[in-house]
Amino acid sequence: MSQTAVIHEQMAVPQPKQHGKPGGFLAHTNIFTGLIGGVVAAGVTYFIGDKLVPWGTQNADFSQVGLNALVFCTFVAWVIGFMAGIGAFAGPIRWALGHDLTHDDAEYMAGKGQGRMKYWKYTTDHKVVGIQYLVMALVLFGFGGFFAMLIRTELGATWREVFDPNFYNSLIGTHGIVMIIAMIIVVAGPLGNFIMPLMIGARDMAFPRLNALSFWLLFAAVPPLVLNLVMGGIRDGWTVYQPLGTQAPIGMIGYQVCIITFAFSTGIAGVNLITTIVTMRARGMTWARTPIFIIGTLAAAIMGLVWFPMFQYAQLLAASDKVIGTSFYIPQSGGSVWLYENLFWLLGHPEVYVIVVPATAGILELMVVFLRKPLFSYKMAVAGFAGVVGISAVVWVHHMYMTGFAPQAGYPFMLSTELISIPFGFLVLVMLGTLWRGKAWNRLPMMAVYAVIFDKIIGGITGVYLSDVPVDQYMHGSMFVVAHFHYMLMGAGLFAAMGVIVYWFPKMTGRMFDERIGKIGFWTAFLAFQVTFLSMFVAGLQGMPRRVLQFDNAFDISNWISTIGAYCIGIGMLIFLYAVITSWRNGKVAPSNPWGAKTLEWQTETPVPLENFPVLPVVTSDPYGYGIPDPYLKVEEELDQDDNETVGAR
Amino acid sequence: MSAQTSPALYPTTGEPVAVNARRNRLGLWLCIISDATGVVALLIAYMYLWSLNVNNAWAPKGKNHWALDWPFWAIVAGTVLGTICMWWGVKGIAKGHTGRLMAGALLSSLIILVAFVGQIIQLSTFPFGPGDGAYASATFWLAIGTAIHLSLLTFLTTAIVGRTRAGRITQENHSHARLVAMWMTYVCVAALLGAIFTTVMKESPNSNAPTFGTFQN
Ligand code: HEM
Ligand SMILES: [Cu+2]
Repeated sequence: MSQTAVIHEQMAVPQPKQHGKPGGFLAHTNIFTGLIGGVVAAGVTYFIGDKLVPWGTQNADFSQVGLNALVFCTFVAWVIGFMAGIGAFAGPIRWALGHDLTHDDAEYMAGKGQGRMKYWKYTTDHKVVGIQYLVMALVLFGFGGFFAMLIRTELGATWREVFDPNFYNSLIGTHGIVMIIAMIIVVAGPLGNFIMPLMIGARDMAFPRLNALSFWLLFAAVPPLVLNLVMGGIRDGWTVYQPLGTQAPIGMIGYQVCIITFAFSTGIAGVNLITTIVTMRARGMTWARTPIFIIGTLAAAIMGLVWFPMFQYAQLLAASDKVIGTSFYIPQSGGSVWLYENLFWLLGHPEVYVIVVPATAGILELMVVFLRKPLFSYKMAVAGFAGVVGISAVVWVHHMYMTGFAPQAGYPFMLSTELISIPFGFLVLVMLGTLWRGKAWNRLPMMAVYAVIFDKIIGGITGVYLSDVPVDQYMHGSMFVVAHFHYMLMGAGLFAAMGVIVYWFPKMTGRMFDERIGKIGFWTAFLAFQVTFLSMFVAGLQGMPRRVLQFDNAFDISNWISTIGAYCIGIGMLIFLYAVITSWRNGKVAPSNPWGAKTLEWQTETPVPLENFPVLPVVTSDPYGYGIPDPYLKVEEELDQDDNETVGAR
Repeated sequence: MSAQTSPALYPTTGEPVAVNARRNRLGLWLCIISDATGVVALLIAYMYLWSLNVNNAWAPKGKNHWALDWPFWAIVAGTVLGTICMWWGVKGIAKGHTGRLMAGALLSSLIILVAFVGQIIQLSTFPFGPGDGAYASATFWLAIGTAIHLSLLTFLTTAIVGRTRAGRITQENHSHARLVAMWMTYVCVAALLGAIFTTVMKESPNSNAPTFGTFQN
């Protein structure tokens, strides 16, 4: 007990007893022990379940609880075994025994002195977790993008069937949910973890061990989902509506276990992000001085934290219907499919904002830096995010207009959905006001700003059509809906994510991004995106339903165009990926503040040291002090002359 | 020791323990909010299916197959009692009585363990199986939810005993015990809501039940 440790070269802090070497059990674990643990646990569970218990044998009484229960237990065993193998349970056990971490333990767990191995371990440092999330997101986009190419191949080959229809439907569902997960994590994961603590001047996240936990839970959640494709598939789209979900083959259980696990991951990440932002901002960083990206991340984390459990329980009850024979969604025995749809969309709609809000906030951050102007009306931007968070809770029924659920509810929900345009309008005004008479420094991140504004207009306006009940009668379930949400998710979400990742790339990797190749990839993907999805609007307006692989010849031409466009998106993305990989491996070494930006993350050195800042920063002004608030106005007033040259920012 | 004069410091970050405690408390509140959404999802499921009575299949088949009320309330009572014991211990350690925390946490963990076992017994003795209609499904899941909460509490209360024994919970630094007590209070509320729902909403109010998915008229 009398031992002390010197922390940040400042003070001697009394330490608890050191149990064993620093790191304890975690010194012996890594992803490989995790994989072994998971596979062994799953294998043993399957073997015992299959051989000793009459589960595997599907007799009449056990028809429902037979194979389903076996598969469910096997997947759950995989998740638990993996988490045990990588050492996730060491923390709680040590805590219960009173073997608290010492400073040395904490430093080991943050990856000190482990070189690259730290990326393969249960590492708590927020910078490591951020990189892990980035790579994970790229892998998921790889899967999802590959599935998209297969889908477009089927739809483009109008003269023949390429895939078995059931497999095709499973591809659609898997593509959808993989992309949704990837989009949920792509900004809040890498940037929320790596950049956010730096940006607020903190040494780490509030709960470093929960940070590792949230990433590795995500990692464990993915294999059950992807395996569904070889287990009969999920044939009813990413929303897996009931009662098809209950009647589906065992692949559905992979989906369910994935979502249940992923929900824990997002919940934990949400707790961590919110607590960090609320309690760990640097001295002097009042709310009004907090960068807008932080506010957006906070807004997204709140929505995810509050609403994700609805989705989790929707899947938990769905799994229960399959595994223990309950009847939440089975009408014959008193269940209701509308219950599922309500629980699903209670998260489902807020979740689309979980995706666009951090991306939008990131775009605002880019505009400030590349226009060298303060954010136009910071308060309005905050109000916009707050409004989106609030109203997003009361719009979910716009996905259910045509399901027969409470037709009278359509109009109030149409109103609330269209009301969201007001806070969204605030954000658009902030963007326009910031752009107004700005002198743009047109680097790749700034190009993402233009791209996103363009896509968001199209996605937003088509959304307003869809929220109109009479219009939705014709549009619902058509390719028009598919084009709408791709404009939002991919056009506004993914292109924004590409922009912000390029912007923070030098801080995260220590290398400059190769913008020459990156731009080629970015613009190829962007233009091809317009070709693909504008043409999909046409197919939708002509009446082509979504999720079908055989359709009338009338839709041939628009599908050919979409398929060609999609292949070109694929090529553009591959070029962009090439730029990411080559820049990361041997790009030019980055200075600590290549953009001359004012926020805190750029003020520390690159590569960022383990404790982030040698001395914690103190904030004395808002982060956007580029010149005077509206240079032109002030100058015009005072000098009564137009003097663009001298005050032109940058 | 120097720790007497300066405020107690958190060993891994060197911050005062009070700073750490405040942060943990916010984290706990957020966990409660998130968990509560899940509980609300179960309550919505219960109430929704109760009010619809689809295909007249809310009630379990056969007469008088509703679950007994008293086991729900007994489990709530146990949880509340365990929580009170924990708070009693926490108030004690705040005044410096380590023994009182030890006694409170020990009692609490035993009572919670009994409540957990009771919950398992209730689950296995319902007069219906999970497949006996919507009421059975919803009731099973309210009980399973409480069982999960109680199993977690068994771990947490035992851990507080362990930590007190190891001398990790002291008058200056007892926030972990307090957080566990707060979480227990939330679990009481969740269990209470479940008990109220199952007690009050039995027979569905909808006698004109809609027919769905049966292909009959
Ligand atoms: C101006 C704001 C928006 C409005 C008014 C709006 C409205 C709608 C409506 C009414 C539907 C239902 C269409 C139907 O199924 O018949 C819909 C579908 C959808 N929207 Fe939006 N939306 C908006 C923004 C967004 C954003 C920002 C995203 C995502 C980032 C998004 C993603 C989706 C998705 C994924 C679906 C389809 C879900 C499915 O059935 O698979 N929307 N939107
Ligand atoms: Cu929506």
